[in-house]
Amino acid sequence: MKLIKSIVRPNKVDEVKAALEKLQISGMTVTEVRGHGKQKGHTAIYRGQEYNVSLLPKMEIEVVVPDSMADDAIKAIIEAARTGEIGDGRVFVLPVAESYKIRTGERQVD
Amino acid sequence: MGRPLTFMTESQSSPADARAARAARLEAARSELVAATVRGQGGRHAMRQYSHRMDALVQQLFADAGAVSQPVAVFALGGYGRRELCLHSDIDVLVLFAGAIVPPDERFLHAFLNPLWDLGLTVGHHVREVHEGATLEADNPEFLLALTDGRAVVGDATLLDQFVGASHVARTATRTLDALKALIAERHARFNETLYQLEPDVKDAPGGLRDLFGAQTIAKLTDPALLAQGGSGARELDDAEDFMLRVRSILHLEAKRHHNVLSHELQERAAEYLGYPGATPRQRVERFMSDYFRHARAIDRSLRWALRAAPLPLDRNLVRAADGVRFIDPRAAADRPETWLGLFQAALDGACAVSDDALSSVRQHAGKYRPEDFFQTPEQRDALLRFLTPRPGLYARLSEMHDSGLLGQMVPEFKAITCRVVRDFYHKYTVDEHTLLTIRNLERLTEPGIGPERERYARLLAELPSPELLVLALLFHDVGKWKDEDHASESTRMAQQMFERLELDDEARGVVEFLVREHLKMSLVAFRRDTEDPEIVRQFAELVAVEERLKMLCLLTLADVEAVSRETLTPWKEELLWRLYVDTYNHLTLSYGDEVIERSQSVHSDLIDGRPEDVSAEEITGFLEGLPRRYLQLFSRDAVYRHVRLSRRLTPDMVQAWMERTDAAWELTVLTHDQPFLFSNISGVLSSFGMDILRGFAFTKPDGLVVDMFHFTDEERFLELNAGGDGKVIEVLEDVIRGRVDLAARLTGREQGAFRRRLPGFAPVIHADNDSSRRYTIVEIVAENALGLLYRMSRVMSEYGCDVDLVLIATEGRRAIDVFHLTKDGRKLTPSQQQTLTGNLHRVLEGRP
Repeated sequence: MKLIKSIVRPNKVDEVKAALEKLQISGMTVTEVRGHGKQKGHTAIYRGQEYNVSLLPKMEIEVVVPDSMADDAIKAIIEAARTGEIGDGRVFVLPVAESYKIRTGERQVD
Repeated sequence: MGRPLTFMTESQSSPADARAARAARLEAARSELVAATVRGQGGRHAMRQYSHRMDALVQQLFADAGAVSQPVAVFALGGYGRRELCLHSDIDVLVLFAGAIVPPDERFLHAFLNPLWDLGLTVGHHVREVHEGATLEADNPEFLLALTDGRAVVGDATLLDQFVGASHVARTATRTLDALKALIAERHARFNETLYQLEPDVKDAPGGLRDLFGAQTIAKLTDPALLAQGGSGARELDDAEDFMLRVRSILHLEAKRHHNVLSHELQERAAEYLGYPGATPRQRVERFMSDYFRHARAIDRSLRWALRAAPLPLDRNLVRAADGVRFIDPRAAADRPETWLGLFQAALDGACAVSDDALSSVRQHAGKYRPEDFFQTPEQRDALLRFLTPRPGLYARLSEMHDSGLLGQMVPEFKAITCRVVRDFYHKYTVDEHTLLTIRNLERLTEPGIGPERERYARLLAELPSPELLVLALLFHDVGKWKDEDHASESTRMAQQMFERLELDDEARGVVEFLVREHLKMSLVAFRRDTEDPEIVRQFAELVAVEERLKMLCLLTLADVEAVSRETLTPWKEELLWRLYVDTYNHLTLSYGDEVIERSQSVHSDLIDGRPEDVSAEEITGFLEGLPRRYLQLFSRDAVYRHVRLSRRLTPDMVQAWMERTDAAWELTVLTHDQPFLFSNISGVLSSFGMDILRGFAFTKPDGLVVDMFHFTDEERFLELNAGGDGKVIEVLEDVIRGRVDLAARLTGREQGAFRRRLPGFAPVIHADNDSSRRYTIVEIVAENALGLLYRMSRVMSEYGCDVDLVLIATEGRRAIDVFHLTKDGRKLTPSQQQTLTGNLHRVLEGRP
């Protein structure tokens, strides 16, 4: 199993969700996060005064998929979240050793 | 209305006969009172009888006093007003005339009053004209107190209502109460603060009749039921009153004069008259005096209670009691729904609740009335808008109004969403409560200590010139949810019904309608669109068009999202919303110069279609070409046509300027051709008349045509006090522009004064950039507002050789926020030029040479 953790633009969440659902991936965790990538935010000006907006609002979407689906899922996320501009976000892929369903205690390995 | 009275006239008989007849009538009345006193029954009943006889005498004298030129009436005041006339009491009367007193009225006065004096009565007379009611609160306190017992004896009884009606009721009542309290304290001090005097004064001593009248007056002015609710209670107080009056009658009878001290000797006489049992005078006196002190204590208890528990008079029929604001007379209030909002406004002003009994009275009667019954006059409609100004307590008061059914009667559209449930995954409350919570969220922005994240939104709210319109929009934003379809459109339709009822002006309608219709847009863009895309921001800026609407929509969105549930508005969302606000604000104020009207654009097709006959399509197109699109958002259609007409014959040296009054402020519009120092000259002329420029803008077309508009307040009341003052200002303006008058000299004294008044702790911010606009260098200045500030700043720019092409002026509290779009020799300023200019500006703003 793989944990796919994507940091995307807030307005891209719906599209990413739709793309993953198309792949029959329905379970996901969505979190409001703030951060910056390479561009380290920028300086905004309001009424003549500069203020730093280094941490940009982003959305984090986490899904756990079987290894066999990981590539498709990553591809779908990237396609759905891309605008081509700086600040489109990142996708991280982590191995998952095992997982358990809390309600039933059922163990899942890939 | 008093009934017409008819009198037997004595004027047919000789004056001497008439005098004798009157003396006989008075003597008969006095004998009656004496007989009752001797029987030990000279109390309330006997005094009423005597007062009644006195009324008849006064009525007779009034009838015999001859003709008057106008309506007049006599009112009994003080003890006579209460019908508690004792044998040697003063007769206090008010003779009230409808208008100015002229010689025949003076003759009438003499003819009326002289016989009273001839009868040996001590007359305390007051003569007033109805209009003097307007200054009643400043009248002497004894008169104000006596007036609380005023009642009509003869003549036009409505005059007293008119007299008191002309006064400021709450202020007069407060002053009367204050005077009463001071008199009580002073009197008690004379008696060493104790009622247990061995030879008490039954009138003045603590626990005496004056204390009783004092308690009754407090109740009358604040809460008629007050004395039944605490102290000794109504019954005990009644007994005490009758006892004291009986004793006083005996004192007057025995002393044969106005004498109220119950001396040892008179105590024996009083005990005898009142039939106290006992073998010896001493035993009778002891029993009698024991009763006296019992009654005096009862009066004392009630007075202390009244002083402690009396509500505070707030308005004609409103007081503030321990349990909140309430009507003094709920029955009278029930028939006057237009006064009900005052109940809630008073609670809001006093930071307290509306009392339960007032709320139940509202609940009981609200259903009888139509919405328009609550707002019958323009003033009452304005009062509703004032009430809706966000401030601590507004949510609580609106909730009381809603709970008592009043809000739904006043605003039937709101009734449609009462307890309305819309099932979705995120809303946690019924639609009505969600709506009221949005108002609570806004109100919280006016409270101190909200933290830095909210402080920025609080500042936006404080900057709004009409925050009440935002509350009105919030009240209506979801009323359309009574239907299941597109609720924003339905809410807008329902809001329009309210506009008609409240006769809202066009500007207010425009704002509220925009907010209701677009109330979902900002959250949609902020949370679901890519706001880093300049095009998205540009489109959103086009929707809101002006900064004020942007601020309002931003605050509405914040309040609305937060009212969905406790968890909905996360700091993350707050940040997204704020960033959209800032980007849009910057677009509106810094980049608008790039968006000019082009000949080929159809943005002004409405203007062309609706044009008057004397204005051609070609003229409109030619005039608009090159102006920023923002121009169309700031001026009404009629204003545009006017500008087109005036620009026709505008030669380069000509100035077209005019002033119009708008509410509490003024607007100056200037159409002319550009020339060096033009903007600083116009702003300087206004400052030289002491005008405070609050907002405005200046547009310069590429062909040099200038349209400037200044919104200002007439701080020194020059325009108010000088007829034709606007003409004078424009005359000076023309002289200054043509170089005939030295503006600097006109301003010297004023500017020094303005610098002296500068408040500490406010460093100016100056920011110049070449990135926000393709065509201009933008200089944004935030500084403490001061007379002549615009003049000084723009003068520095012109002196440096800059063309001041576009200006946006705003004032928010103490801060002036001005944005200048500049070029120098037709180009943006280089970084070093920017540095020099901002250095010069800093020097001037900081008052350095």
